[in-house]
Amino acid sequence: MIVEFSRAFDNLFGRGEAAVTVPPLDGAFRPNRALDEAAARFPLAGVDSLAMVSSEVLASSGRAIHRFDQGRWHKRSEYDAEILCLAAIGKECLAIALATGEIVIEGGCFGGRRYKPAQPLACMTAMAGTDSELYIANGSAKNGPADWQRDLLERNASGSVWRLDLESGTFTRLADGLAWPAGLAPDAEGPVFSEAWKHQLVRIDQRGFKVLYADLPAYPGRIAPATDGYWLALFAPRSQLVEFVLRESAYRRRMMAEVPQAFWVAPKLRSGRSFCESLQGGGVKHLGLLKPWAPTMSAGLCVKLDRAFQPRASLHSRADGRTHGVTSVAEHDGQVFIAACGDGVVVSLPVTPLGGAEA
Amino acid sequence: MAVSDRITRWRYRYVPDHLLGEILTKRWVDNAIPLLILLAVALVFGSLIPDFFGPASISSLMRQWGEFALIVLALMIVMVAGGIDLSVGSTFALGNIVALALLNVAEWPVAAVIVGTLACGAAVGLVNGLLVGYLRLRAFLTTLVTLIIVRAVVDMLLLKYSVAIAAAFVDSDFWYYLGEGYVLGLPFSVVVAAIVAIVAHLVLTRSRAGWHVLATGGSRRSAHNVGISVRRVICATYVVSGTLSALAGLLFASRLGGAGADTGVGLEIAALTAAVLGGNSLGGGRGSAAKAIMGSIIVMIMVNGLVRLGITRGGSSLLLGIILLAAVAIDVRWLKNRHKLLSKVYVSPTYAELPPAPATEGESPYALNDRLRPVEAIGLNRIDGPEDVILDEDDNIYAGNRTGDIVRFHAPDYSRQEVFAHVGGRPLGMAFARDGSLLCCIGGMGLYRITRDRKIEKLTDETNRSWFSVIDDSRLRLADDLDIAPDGRVFFSEATIRYEMHEWPVDCLESRGNGRIICFNPSTGVTRTVLKNLLFPNGICMTLDGQSFLFAETWACRVSRYWFDGPKQRQVETVIADLPGYPDNINRASDGSYWLALVGMRTPALDLALKMPGFRKRMARRIAPDEWMYPNINTGCVLRFDETGRIIETLWDLGGENHPMITSMREHKGYLYIGGILNNRVGRLKLAGVDAGWTGQRSYWGRA
Repeated sequence: MIVEFSRAFDNLFGRGEAAVTVPPLDGAFRPNRALDEAAARFPLAGVDSLAMVSSEVLASSGRAIHRFDQGRWHKRSEYDAEILCLAAIGKECLAIALATGEIVIEGGCFGGRRYKPAQPLACMTAMAGTDSELYIANGSAKNGPADWQRDLLERNASGSVWRLDLESGTFTRLADGLAWPAGLAPDAEGPVFSEAWKHQLVRIDQRGFKVLYADLPAYPGRIAPATDGYWLALFAPRSQLVEFVLRESAYRRRMMAEVPQAFWVAPKLRSGRSFCESLQGGGVKHLGLLKPWAPTMSAGLCVKLDRAFQPRASLHSRADGRTHGVTSVAEHDGQVFIAACGDGVVVSLPVTPLGGAEA
Repeated sequence: MAVSDRITRWRYRYVPDHLLGEILTKRWVDNAIPLLILLAVALVFGSLIPDFFGPASISSLMRQWGEFALIVLALMIVMVAGGIDLSVGSTFALGNIVALALLNVAEWPVAAVIVGTLACGAAVGLVNGLLVGYLRLRAFLTTLVTLIIVRAVVDMLLLKYSVAIAAAFVDSDFWYYLGEGYVLGLPFSVVVAAIVAIVAHLVLTRSRAGWHVLATGGSRRSAHNVGISVRRVICATYVVSGTLSALAGLLFASRLGGAGADTGVGLEIAALTAAVLGGNSLGGGRGSAAKAIMGSIIVMIMVNGLVRLGITRGGSSLLLGIILLAAVAIDVRWLKNRHKLLSKVYVSPTYAELPPAPATEGESPYALNDRLRPVEAIGLNRIDGPEDVILDEDDNIYAGNRTGDIVRFHAPDYSRQEVFAHVGGRPLGMAFARDGSLLCCIGGMGLYRITRDRKIEKLTDETNRSWFSVIDDSRLRLADDLDIAPDGRVFFSEATIRYEMHEWPVDCLESRGNGRIICFNPSTGVTRTVLKNLLFPNGICMTLDGQSFLFAETWACRVSRYWFDGPKQRQVETVIADLPGYPDNINRASDGSYWLALVGMRTPALDLALKMPGFRKRMARRIAPDEWMYPNINTGCVLRFDETGRIIETLWDLGGENHPMITSMREHKGYLYIGGILNNRVGRLKLAGVDAGWTGQRSYWGRA
């Protein structure tokens, strides 16, 4: 009774849960243009997931896996279904998640094996491997990976995290009821996953869940190991307008029913391409210029985490940038590769001694 | 249409949400709370006490009230100037004893007694004024001290003269008339109080002296900075206060004819309660005679009512004190939160459904293309926001800019520019009159004319006020575009009457018909509103028949036609009902059709929001304006249509790379000149297959 009353009160005055605040980009998240200023840009349409196998950078795009060599992408192999994500197992072995729900292993001691859980995982968003195990994040039980905006707007929390024992092929569910887990990192104290719709990083340990970092300013996705910590890809920025729409159930319902998906008020991997997308006040061009600080539905953001999963530095592409929708990061030999799915490009920057990347 | 949509539409059509905000913008709304308290108090005591408002009761109540109201008015004048006068009660007692002593002991004539008493009160006020105004002592402490000293003087006078006063008999009808007479059935003291109140009201609201008092109370430093003699103003308010208190004492003396030790004791608290309860701010700068009158009536009714209910004197003082505390608290909170409340409730979106947007691809006449790619830029980065462009007979370009100039680019290469006229406001729509002078709608100012020799003349800045409009809609806030009829009448649009120019997105959020079209007749100098409740009327263009004009309503995505003459006079017909974007200016094309600029394109998400006013209202409250959902004005286009509403062609610049943002276009000698309110250039496009000699001037006035 009291809860309902206070909720109605909050809703009337826009307080508490109904407040639409988004954390400011400050501290480790201070904006820069590092992603746009990176000299090394390697276009690859539809690039999604990156992995480091046998000292090679691999990238998935649609049904194909590409190999990076001498500044260009070369097609390495192709599958008969969409590739959802990639993960390295050990140094030589690559795990590939397919839209069919299958996990295929290439190379190494498990090479050629295929795994399929009894209960199909149709929305594998991320995988992370150790030498003998593979952790799998299933974003949602209701929507496929392409429908992530719908999953957000439906305010679902039906995702799960699994562990696959590569030797025996058994799947173990580690967590359930998650709001779009989209990234994984095996860690000595227990695997860590990013929960996108709750904007947080969570560790699974013996006692249950432990939130390592809450209230990120963007939706966190895949996590990749770095020499002294981790890289976190944040695929879309949070915005006040979206937070507000998330609290307006009537509008959300009608928007999903009546408005084409491309023009929803929802975060995107790339926005601003069509005039049918709604515009926000700060996004009005003045004297022909879009301001970098303009509110935007898409942006590029990649964060360097330390070993305790706390943000230390970040690389940005702002509203007026051209490296939006960072879905995956991989570090190799002093270089960090960042896949911007929204703009179909992989940028590469040298990793600096400070732990961030050179701007 | 869904049932829920229909209910929403009816709900927003018949409940005028916007009125609450408009009422809150009014200064008189400060009087609303005291008025409510007054009604409540009158109701409560009227029902509790039988015959409370009977003729006998009311007569004696009114006579007391007249004296009390004078004291409250005295206090109000001091409070408005930012001070406080606690000595009003003592001065009242002093006035009483002085009047009686002068009359009975000194045996002065009544007229002299009146002058003497008032002078005595003025002297007390002058002491206060000198101390507080010139020596800048604290008003509270100073008047507290005067309260004690004057009270002591009264006691001394009482000791000396009370016997003599009681023994004497006054033989003067005029003297008794002051205390017991009637004027037109009203007690004399009420008439005096009413006259003083009216004079105080006129002085405070209509005279320089009154404005000085209000300014001093509002901000002493600012008043000083603008050259008001703050010390003299403050001193004068105390003198007035002392005089009025003494006047009240004089009336009291005439009514009762006796002096007692308790005359006027505690009166200052009652008067202070009345003044604050009426809504006069303790901080100064905000107060009026009406508030003082209301407050005094409330306190009078309460004090007398409590006495009649048999509550002891202590009890009624206690109650008075509690009410004073509450009134002060309300005063402070109201002052602090009124603008917050206003900002929360002023924006009141309404239900607005647009017809389905036509496609912009395939066979549609609006299909996307790259025809604006070859646009060349004139004055690139040298002009900030040319909303409208126009060319004269020598091919020079005129365009307004954001800093309030009309800039002229010289033909033929337009590389040279000069400020043609500095108008100060935001120049929007422009047109050349028959005599070659340039007429211009200036945002925030009105309709202006710039003659050939650059003289700037105001044509009009106000129209007739609507009968039932709460906000004053006579002033022009956002004159937008104009056109001139063959007989010289100027028809111009005012986009919104509820917002200022830079707040146009809020008007979109509201999507209420806040705009209008106004006619200025230069031969009579009369300005009249011809069409009301339009959704952001923008471009206006005379049709070729000389009897009608086309006008665009931006938020309605509609172009309509209005006949001001001829057989269809006063009729409005929709020409294009469903544009895919937001129309701006309309101008004539050389082949008898019309050019129309679309400043932005409709977005499905906003179209849906327009059907959900509650959503928009919460959005306006909850999130920052920079985050609001806007109409997409980053992409626009130019299109050509004829009088039947058929779209002939559409000119796009895909991606807005070459010429972002279009608000107007003007055809001139085979070229199309393009302006944009947030743009940094004037665009020029060569048109193929048009009359290369055609100019707007010739089309309108038949010369080159």
